[in-house]
Amino acid sequence: MAREWQPDFERLVDEHQSMVFSLAWRMTGDRGLAEEIAQDVFLELDRHMHKVESPEHALFWLRRVAMSRSADALRRKRVRGVDLWVEIEENHGAPIEEKPSPLGARLEQLLTTLPEPQRAALVLRYQEDLTPEEIARTLESPLATVKSNLQRGLKLLRAKAECNLKDYLRPGRGPERVVGGA
Amino acid sequence: MPEMDEFESKLQPAFVRRPAPPGLKQRILDQRNRRRSEQFHRRVVLWQRLAAVFVLAAALGGGLTWRHVEEKRRGEAAREEVMTALRITNHALDQIQARLAARNRADHE
Repeated sequence: MAREWQPDFERLVDEHQSMVFSLAWRMTGDRGLAEEIAQDVFLELDRHMHKVESPEHALFWLRRVAMSRSADALRRKRVRGVDLWVEIEENHGAPIEEKPSPLGARLEQLLTTLPEPQRAALVLRYQEDLTPEEIARTLESPLATVKSNLQRGLKLLRAKAECNLKDYLRPGRGPERVVGGA
Repeated sequence: MPEMDEFESKLQPAFVRRPAPPGLKQRILDQRNRRRSEQFHRRVVLWQRLAAVFVLAAALGGGLTWRHVEEKRRGEAAREEVMTALRITNHALDQIQARLAARNRADHE
């Protein structure tokens, strides 16, 4: 039976390179590594093009593989004994083409200090705007675990923001408004 | 939790997708082409090796068959020679026996 949708590799790269690169960068905190991961993910897609059934499937597949490759890269770094967080600090100091807003940059920086499962859940939730159910499918994790990681990650990020983003506090606000008024 | 909603609303714009680095697509396409040409080259080499193995196997099989046929032919030839020698010997013995018989008859007479 002939498939209705024929995947076009170049078009898929055009459409999703930013998404894959951003996921990898936010997961690893390393721009160079994120580029390598993005390349690997698309080459892997090229090998599995015959299995891709629809644009939605391609998007789901790319998210899932980007997250799993990023987790693998972090694991390899840990095994090699590289001090990732020192690298992240260095990388965030490096010049980049598109600097996000100062608050965004600081929040991103804080994000890289969260435990990996919480970071993964938050990145998929707020970058990709996925529901907890979609995150659970993407990460192949139980829904309860994803919800718990989202809650804990947000709580931890808020706590870190309270300590580190005092510049962005609105005067006269309570501690729960830590990131307001940037 | 309204305070959580406000915090989340600050997160969303902070987490917009970053543009891919310039040239990423081209690097991906280059790598893809390189990988494909390597795959093609590997496939060609594999087929060449298979063809070489086939030719070698055919040569070896042909050689063994030829040797078997040749040995059989030589065996047949040797058997023929032995049979000829036996026939000649048999004929010579028959002649000797005939002469001896003739001499015996002459002695009795």
